[in-house]
Amino acid sequence: MTPFLAVIKKELQSVIRDRTILIAVLIQLFIASFSSGLLLGVLSLYDPDTIMQSGSVQIRIGLVGPAGNPLEALMREVGLRVTPYATLAEAQTAFYGNKVNAIILIPTDVGVSGSTSEIKLYLPSSDAASSLIRMVIQAPFKQYENILRAQNGIEVRYKDLKGKPSTSFEFIYSVLLPMLMFFPAFVAGSMSIDMLTEEVENNTLQTLLSAPLTVNSMIGAKIVSAVILAALQCIAWLALMQLNGIAIQNVGWILLLAVVVAGLTSTSAMLAAVFLKDRERSQFIYSLALLVVTSIGTLLDISPIKTISRLGIGDTYTGGWDVAMFALFLAALCLVLMKVSRRVMG
Amino acid sequence: MHQILVIAWREITRLRKRFGGASPIAVFLLLAALGLSAFALRSSVSLGNGLYRVAVSGDVPTIQDSRFSVSSIDPAQGKTLLEQHAIDVWVNGAQVQARGDDQSLFAVKALKQDLEALELARIGASYADETAFPLRVGINYLAPQNVQGTAPPAKPEEIIIPSLTPPPAPFIQVLVGMLYIIPITFISIFFTTSFMDEKVNRRLTILLSAPITPFQIIFGKMLPYAIFALGTTVLIAIQTHADVLLALAIFAPTILFIFAIYLMVPLLYRTFKDTTFIAMLVTTLTTAYLVFPAMFTNTNDLAYISPLALAVKMYRNEPFGWREYLFPSLPMAAIFGLAMYAGTRMLNEEFLMGYRPITRKITDAIYLMMAHIRPSLSVPLWSLMVIPGVYMAQVVFLAFATNLPLRIMLGVVLVASALVEEVVKSIGIVVLAEHGKVRSIRHLLGLAFLSALGFLVGEKLLLLVSLSVVSDAPVAGALFGAGVFLLIPLFAHFAFTSIVTFLRTKVKIPYALALAAGALVHSLYNWYVMNGGLR
Repeated sequence: MTPFLAVIKKELQSVIRDRTILIAVLIQLFIASFSSGLLLGVLSLYDPDTIMQSGSVQIRIGLVGPAGNPLEALMREVGLRVTPYATLAEAQTAFYGNKVNAIILIPTDVGVSGSTSEIKLYLPSSDAASSLIRMVIQAPFKQYENILRAQNGIEVRYKDLKGKPSTSFEFIYSVLLPMLMFFPAFVAGSMSIDMLTEEVENNTLQTLLSAPLTVNSMIGAKIVSAVILAALQCIAWLALMQLNGIAIQNVGWILLLAVVVAGLTSTSAMLAAVFLKDRERSQFIYSLALLVVTSIGTLLDISPIKTISRLGIGDTYTGGWDVAMFALFLAALCLVLMKVSRRVMG
Repeated sequence: MHQILVIAWREITRLRKRFGGASPIAVFLLLAALGLSAFALRSSVSLGNGLYRVAVSGDVPTIQDSRFSVSSIDPAQGKTLLEQHAIDVWVNGAQVQARGDDQSLFAVKALKQDLEALELARIGASYADETAFPLRVGINYLAPQNVQGTAPPAKPEEIIIPSLTPPPAPFIQVLVGMLYIIPITFISIFFTTSFMDEKVNRRLTILLSAPITPFQIIFGKMLPYAIFALGTTVLIAIQTHADVLLALAIFAPTILFIFAIYLMVPLLYRTFKDTTFIAMLVTTLTTAYLVFPAMFTNTNDLAYISPLALAVKMYRNEPFGWREYLFPSLPMAAIFGLAMYAGTRMLNEEFLMGYRPITRKITDAIYLMMAHIRPSLSVPLWSLMVIPGVYMAQVVFLAFATNLPLRIMLGVVLVASALVEEVVKSIGIVVLAEHGKVRSIRHLLGLAFLSALGFLVGEKLLLLVSLSVVSDAPVAGALFGAGVFLLIPLFAHFAFTSIVTFLRTKVKIPYALALAAGALVHSLYNWYVMNGGLR
């Protein structure tokens, strides 16, 4: 047991001495904290509700057309400021005087049942402004379309659903949480390959094996140290997310799942390294295999990503059993690795 | 030239030998992996895979969105299941029932998009087009004010049906743009590995003793990979029906940039683990730099710092000018040039084989780059050449900081950019002083002045390109020093650099502290300038 611990200690010490992992983790922290904020910002840019809720945008529409058209009320409902004008020329003067940002022209014959109605929208030629306006004005247009459909005798279902903007919720639990929990696992796999191939290519493996240490315990120790590092990173990320006020359920199971996945990646990476014995090919095959397994998992609907998001939101039907299933995979993979490494390297 | 080709050919042979035995299997695996992941991604590209549980009863269209787990239930159970939190939403015929809590309301909002689309499909299938889609909106663009009245419309009228035409969003095009980046990254990892391999096998030592220059070695080894990368770009462009030449023009600087960064990995690493971490770091940084800004295409002009924004424009058939093209491309090409130069200086055995702390290794690399010509020339040149790097860092700060409140954002950007500027201006002098190349205070001040001069010249050159593109970012002016005449900033930069280098080399306080002092004064100056202090 002692040589086993000694190998773990040696690997962890070398990581701390190199300091590159610390720099890498710190910069990732910087990027994750900002980019998640940034991505949320971007996503909300594409969500008209959020744009209008934030109150920072004030869009004024000049309306030319018959009074009492329902579109006017619909636009006011989403927070647009509507100013009526008598003619298009007047509205254009207001547009160039910066009094309105866009103009809508409704002809008098609009809304005659059985025929299509055509209204006109005049936008500024600047890309940025016009795409923002088109985004916000989309909902009133669609509702107005539904009113016209009703005049044609078509009843549209599910048109008054409200709810709350869900983009940030979906982003946090289905992207951010899995990314932060599984990225360390991915790194752990690469690290396992590095640890073994470095011994092989520097010709230090034989020396190491002349110590009272079997091949399997040497490989096991390297995997364990990679997994320990991954677990530490996951704990740090979880703590940081909690500090940022993100509620995460089932923290224990999530951490366990992250550790199991780190074990899975490290074991399969080690399997590649044991076979190929050089870094270049092992890393390549490992990344490729990871890609394939993730795709197959997604297709078969057994993805740890889905499990971890469901654990995070506290889904009723997800719990320890789902984690146990992945642990079972891990146990099987470990057995294979033990058999293979004894035959190939022993 | 001949030598470069010889090395390039040798590189291909090496690669063939490495992967020779397994090549058909590897190729098959690669294709299978790509095909599978593309197929898997297609079905689950949406955010929030499996997050919501929905129960349906009665006549409800089939919901096929990976965000929802849908189950059919008996209408009698609906209320109970909803209250037990076993489901988030219950769709009972035309009725949608939810709880009042967040999770349930999020689910309703997410479901809204789906049900609306399904309803449209039903209506479209069962009624005539004119009655099912009775509204047309003609979209016109009004030309800017100076040509009002007589001006022809900026673009031809575009007629849309609101419920069938989603408003423009660049996400899809950004994803397509990413398609170009992924193989480039993969290929450049092979390039890195090849270098490492030579280093471990000590073959690089033999190569270095041959009558060829380090530049020929680097360029020769890079050539086959660069050709592969260009080849994939052409392939993707053909596959996605894009203009091949335009795609090459957009992505060639990106390829050079990524290769430049990956060139640094094998030169700086000490152990295998190092390479993994550095490569991870580089991948996250470049992806963040390339992808995030492109999502702002057409909403913020800063998006143009990423060439992907140009790709988005290309896929939308929107034109862009030379300025928009040079804005991302020029700094990337410049960084490539700098990295190639650094590479040729660092490619010597003593530097490559030594194990030293990573910070030491980087300063050694800078020393190697500066020491072979006179300090009075290398210092200003260094300040001039790293400008693109500084500028990229600052634009990244700016982009990241835009989601902070305005007041904090200004503070963060000003301090961070002051820090970066002080680092690049002083590091060369500090490193030279450490090796005993700078002794007297007069020499030190002279170099500080030259460094400030080089920096300023570079900054003003850059200004010509950048300010014309980034017009609406309020901080850009302060960052790049617009509208201030030249003598005062020159003196200011000189003063800051002198503070840092003097504190470090003569007072002997740690570099980090000296830097903090210089950056503090610098940000106070920036703050003053931005509040109109120099008008």
